Amino acid sequence: MRELSYAEAIREALRQEMQRDERVFIIGEDVGVYGGAFGVTLGLIEEFGEERVIDTPISELTIAGAITGAALVGMRPVGEIMFMDFITLASEQLVNQAAKIRFMFGGKEKVPFVLRTPAGSGTGAAAQHSQSLENWFVHIPGLKVVMPSTPYDAKGLLIASIRDDNPVIFVEHKLLYKVKGPVPEEPYTIPLGTAEVKREGRDLTIIATSIMVQRALQAAEQLAEEGIEVEVVDPRTLKPLDKETIIRSVIKTGRVLIVHEACKTGGFGGELAAVIAESEAFDYLDAPIVRLAGRDIPIPYNRTLEYHAVPQVENIVEAARRLAEGRV
Amino acid sequence: MATPVIMPKLEMAQETATVIEWLKKEGEYVEKGEPLLVVETDKVTVEIESPASGILAGVRVGPGDVVPVTQIIAYILQPGEELPEGARVEPAPPPPPPSLAPSAAPPPPPPSPAPSAAPPPPPPSPAPSAAPPPPHAGAPPATPVALRLAEAYGVDLRTVVGTGPGGQITRADVEAALARREERPAAPPPPERVRATPAARRIARERGVDLRAVRGTGPRGRVQAADVLAFAAAPSAAPAPAPEVIPLAGMRRTIAERMTASYQTAPHITFTVRVDMEAFESARARLNEEAEATGGPRVSVTALLVKAVAWALRRHPWLNSTLQGEEIHLLPEVNVGVAVALDEGLIVPVIRQADRKGIAEIAAEVSDLVARAREGRLTPADVAGGTFTLSNLGPFGIEQFTAIINPPQAAILAVGAARREPVVNEAGEIVVRPVMRMTLSADHRIVDGAQAARFLVDLKEVLETPILLLW
Repeated sequence: MRELSYAEAIREALRQEMQRDERVFIIGEDVGVYGGAFGVTLGLIEEFGEERVIDTPISELTIAGAITGAALVGMRPVGEIMFMDFITLASEQLVNQAAKIRFMFGGKEKVPFVLRTPAGSGTGAAAQHSQSLENWFVHIPGLKVVMPSTPYDAKGLLIASIRDDNPVIFVEHKLLYKVKGPVPEEPYTIPLGTAEVKREGRDLTIIATSIMVQRALQAAEQLAEEGIEVEVVDPRTLKPLDKETIIRSVIKTGRVLIVHEACKTGGFGGELAAVIAESEAFDYLDAPIVRLAGRDIPIPYNRTLEYHAVPQVENIVEAARRLAEGRV
Repeated sequence: MATPVIMPKLEMAQETATVIEWLKKEGEYVEKGEPLLVVETDKVTVEIESPASGILAGVRVGPGDVVPVTQIIAYILQPGEELPEGARVEPAPPPPPPSLAPSAAPPPPPPSPAPSAAPPPPPPSPAPSAAPPPPHAGAPPATPVALRLAEAYGVDLRTVVGTGPGGQITRADVEAALARREERPAAPPPPERVRATPAARRIARERGVDLRAVRGTGPRGRVQAADVLAFAAAPSAAPAPAPEVIPLAGMRRTIAERMTASYQTAPHITFTVRVDMEAFESARARLNEEAEATGGPRVSVTALLVKAVAWALRRHPWLNSTLQGEEIHLLPEVNVGVAVALDEGLIVPVIRQADRKGIAEIAAEVSDLVARAREGRLTPADVAGGTFTLSNLGPFGIEQFTAIINPPQAAILAVGAARREPVVNEAGEIVVRPVMRMTLSADHRIVDGAQAARFLVDLKEVLETPILLLW
């Protein structure tokens, strides 16, 4: 199969959906002429014109309000927030309007938009351009939250998100954009709410999101050389969450390491841990559930500090080894 | 203006506090916020800070006093200030027990700073001569950051050894004290609670394993799934089958009591000797030929042994004796008991005056007594009056054993099986002979080794040369 980068896979999903459905359009800061801050929408304005690839002023609230309104009148907009940090400015429309409307109108209205946004650190962009704020939106009923970790998942999940009748926060990762992987040419969907076992193993389960899936897979390779067989589970969508796949894996291995980049306190790992502890998997736990997550600090500008602020492969190896060896 | 020092109410349900010690003395200058005294409640020991800067005065309670909360226990005075009316130091009244009604023994009214009173003296400009002591007097010197850390984490600086210049407590010292505090091992779980993972608990439940018996190899001794699996796989995991319980009663109880008494009161000495049984066996064979020809009783090994033992006992009366208090009684009759094994124990019928009976008579008696013993038809007279006991386990194939003396007798002979084995004869040749080992246990209070040896030598001789029985 041919290989595409994560960014190319997203672009292809956008192009194919815009070709398939004229109600789909793109709106955001510098998504048109400039091609997006990370080049994701490069070339789409030439193909689909300024009416369907719309550059906005620097106002995230405008983007969120526009896609909410457009979705309400029958369009299928795909907004972009250039850095997830700025989603703070858009959250009134997302949290109080888009997430609520369907419920408050008794299901007579729907808000079928996708809001794409890159999260994560590792680019030296410091505290206001490096955050991972996905769990804020997991907490809001009415929003779906998707976090692809591979080019294949990015394309399939984005097409599924565009076709979904609910507002979807589609969280990409800046460091993943250039990561390549096999991607089919034809359009396909990955149903929201389906996790994937990215690697099978018997000794412990690592549940990881976004770029941490890639790091967990690298860690698993190293650990396999030591005889520790790690199972890596990628929820892919945080909401709705595929609890069944997660629980099944935990029952199989009895040990869980949860890895995400967002700050540990109040992060999605706490939700995952609780889901496991509340489930029948509890009786199979042979060690405490361990979370490995970003430190509870703003992402530092200093590159060394930035590196150590979030889990790296070596941290995952160490944490998984301790867990597998019964030292936790 | 005099500031009262009030016994504070530190807890919701607190009625009194006990004074542990004053950190400042009467008349000493104290800064506002400085620790003034230490009090103890039901739950905690706390330092009470001074409510004002000034001179401690009018201390009305001392260490050990139980003081109701909200009561005034001292004053902080400004220089030159007098104690308020009614605040004179008197012998501290016995503190009312906490159960007293609030109306009882009302605390002295707080000195309401009467507006009419003379205006308070101006705040004391700290006279250079009376420089206030440094803060944290009593505690060793500490760096500001050490002070701040100690306060934040509740470290008592008096318990910290300073390693800085002049014993100054540094940040590192406080951090070390904190680390020690954290290193203290966690309290062990109550005995009935076991640290175990959920998986270990599930497996234990499924397999009926008592987790308290499982050794945990996880952190802090936590029992993990593998520990339970290993425990369940170990053979010892099978619950020990309950023993079959038989009451110690009847013959068993009698044997237990008599053997214990014998072994504890009579110091046993044992002697083993080997006997060449060829002549004995041929004599017995000849006797049995005679028995067959005449229809007389068959002569068993035991019967012939009884005859030989009686013969030897007649020659060694100390082996045929009994200790009665302060006296040793050499017995006139030689009555040889024969131990007979039964399912429920053993019994010792007696061949009376065996030294005076012929072999045919003894043989008939032994077979009769043994048969009746096995049938449970012995009379008390059959088992009474024994002066020596013979125990022959040869028929079981036992080669050699020691027996416990049957009290009040002086000795017992344990006889093993006769087996053909190589021996070196007097010519220095190795020949195969039937050899029997017999072991005498004797009561050392009566019998000494040489005596016992002489008896055994004679017995061996008569067994190896049966014709001596005619002597």
